[in-house]
Amino acid sequence: MASFNPAVVMLPQGSALDYPHNTLRPQVFRTASTALDRYTGALKQCHDGWVDPVTQLTDTPIVWARTILELAEPLQKVLGTDLSAVDAMTQQDLKALHNALIRLRDISATEPSEHDILNAIGAVRGYAEMLKDDTVGLPDHLLQPITALASATHREMQETAAPFSPIMAADSPGIILAVDDMPENRELVSRLLAKTGHTVITAASGEEALGVLQTRSVDVVLLDLMMPGIGGAEVLRQLKENTDLRATPVIMISGRQDMDQIIACIQAGADDYLLKPFNPVLLQARIAAGIERKRWLDREDQYRQQLERNERFIRATFGRYLSDDIVEQILENPEGLELGGDLKEVTIMMSDIRGFTSISEHLPPQQVVAMLNRYLGRMTDIIFEFGGTIDEFLGDAILAVFGAPKSTGQDADNAVRCALAMRAALTEINHANTQDGLPAVDIAIALNTGTVVAGNIGSERRSKYGFVGHEMNVTSRIEGHAVANEILAAESTVAAVIGQMNLGDKRALQAKGIESALIVYPVEGYQS
Amino acid sequence: MNTQPIRVLLVEDNELNRDMLSRRLTRAGFNVLTAIDGEEALILMRKVRPDVVLLDMNLPIKDGWTTAKEARLDPALQNLPIIALTAHAMESDRLQAIEAGCNDYATKPIDFPDLLQKIEEAVL
Repeated sequence: MASFNPAVVMLPQGSALDYPHNTLRPQVFRTASTALDRYTGALKQCHDGWVDPVTQLTDTPIVWARTILELAEPLQKVLGTDLSAVDAMTQQDLKALHNALIRLRDISATEPSEHDILNAIGAVRGYAEMLKDDTVGLPDHLLQPITALASATHREMQETAAPFSPIMAADSPGIILAVDDMPENRELVSRLLAKTGHTVITAASGEEALGVLQTRSVDVVLLDLMMPGIGGAEVLRQLKENTDLRATPVIMISGRQDMDQIIACIQAGADDYLLKPFNPVLLQARIAAGIERKRWLDREDQYRQQLERNERFIRATFGRYLSDDIVEQILENPEGLELGGDLKEVTIMMSDIRGFTSISEHLPPQQVVAMLNRYLGRMTDIIFEFGGTIDEFLGDAILAVFGAPKSTGQDADNAVRCALAMRAALTEINHANTQDGLPAVDIAIALNTGTVVAGNIGSERRSKYGFVGHEMNVTSRIEGHAVANEILAAESTVAAVIGQMNLGDKRALQAKGIESALIVYPVEGYQS
Repeated sequence: MNTQPIRVLLVEDNELNRDMLSRRLTRAGFNVLTAIDGEEALILMRKVRPDVVLLDMNLPIKDGWTTAKEARLDPALQNLPIIALTAHAMESDRLQAIEAGCNDYATKPIDFPDLLQKIEEAVL
């Protein structure tokens, strides 16, 4: 007999009456307080002898359980034999009762908590009542003992507050969707898997399973092959067609006679199978394997997402400096890209607007910016078109590089063609400028070919893909010597170009800080 | 007329009772989902949106009272009917269940016809 502590009885209080849910459902609270009155009244009456005031029970749950088991003994013998006289569903109900009685016996044989016993008696009672009340045509030899059993268990039970029952943890508990049209099988699977800490969701049909899968994240699907309505094979097919669900491992369950279809299901993407009646240990092992597989797939998915994030990062970082083609190339072949710092043979192009400083001094700032943006926007398009990488805009000056991060094998040719295209585009830009009341501009372009260091240069907080080296400075010096509308190519560039160029007279420049004279050629045209 | 079966979320940690009630409810024509603890129950309430919840109070991980209170704090679950399943002798359990926001309660061992009526009332 459980001890009863009157101190825990809560008396009705004003605060409880004011609770909004009680105002919504006043009848509920009325029932509760009436029951409480009865309870406290009964408590007063029996404070001498220790009898539970509500249940009037005097025997202990274990004694009661033994009484029930004794009564059920002949019935258990019948339930253990051939039940073919009743329909399949009733057979299952009878088996459930049979099993519940076995459980009650097993629990009683150990040192049970009252809570466990009362729960087991409750289950026996539930099955007995269901069979007694809801089953049509239960034969007399079953109906009579079951009715007796139902009334033997239908005594008011008392129950103490349940201790929290610990759940045995599986190594990796998961969420399992068990799909089976037979309630008995669903129960069995739920019971077996819940025991090891898995969370089991059940579905009684293929339709229901597909519905559950829409809303729930499931680690493994246990899928019965033979079901009315949408069968297991069709559920599997729909699952594998769905990109979100495709990765969820599926274990097919079927009878031995359906082996051909099981093989077809495995070919259609099922991960594993179990034959009915299945071995519980095998079930646990296959579920564990399925969960493990799902965990791997989830990790793979995370890894893929990480890659996608990296890709977005690369696009965001390089998109401003590189043409889309080159960004695409880098993404497809990232191992070819050394961002840490790499010596590269490149053709460097530097251009500026002649006399821009004095132009800008005579214009309002908004017009300077408008003019510059029109110019730089058009030039950027052209540079990208020829596969150049923009290193920097310095006011009106553009520093671009051909051959990094990826060489095309004809970087010098591309640079020359790009310079010619930029100069040609000026006509159009100047036309637009004139129409807007802005001055026409002239540009000068220098080209130089040599080895530079390419890489992500800067501090941790601010870095960009850029270039350093002597050749960068040389290009700048050449550009200083170019006159308006001139494209000056260093002899290194001329040597690197594969196609034919129309060149002007060569000049030797004595540039500041550079010892030997620089040989340069004005570029007038190009033919590949 | 709505012919969709009523979806019941049965939250009960005791497997014998859970199996039995789930079976009886299924046989009575309900669509039964089960959960073992309060955490799992809240996840299912949010994701599956059952028509009614049968919530045992003595649950592991997160007990029924806490679960009901948390459900009431979630705007999406505020009106979800919750029927508490309480131990018979514990009158205080029942009152606390109502205070925690449950709409109704049924005492264990469950009187099945009574429970059916309560479910029907709750989902009307």
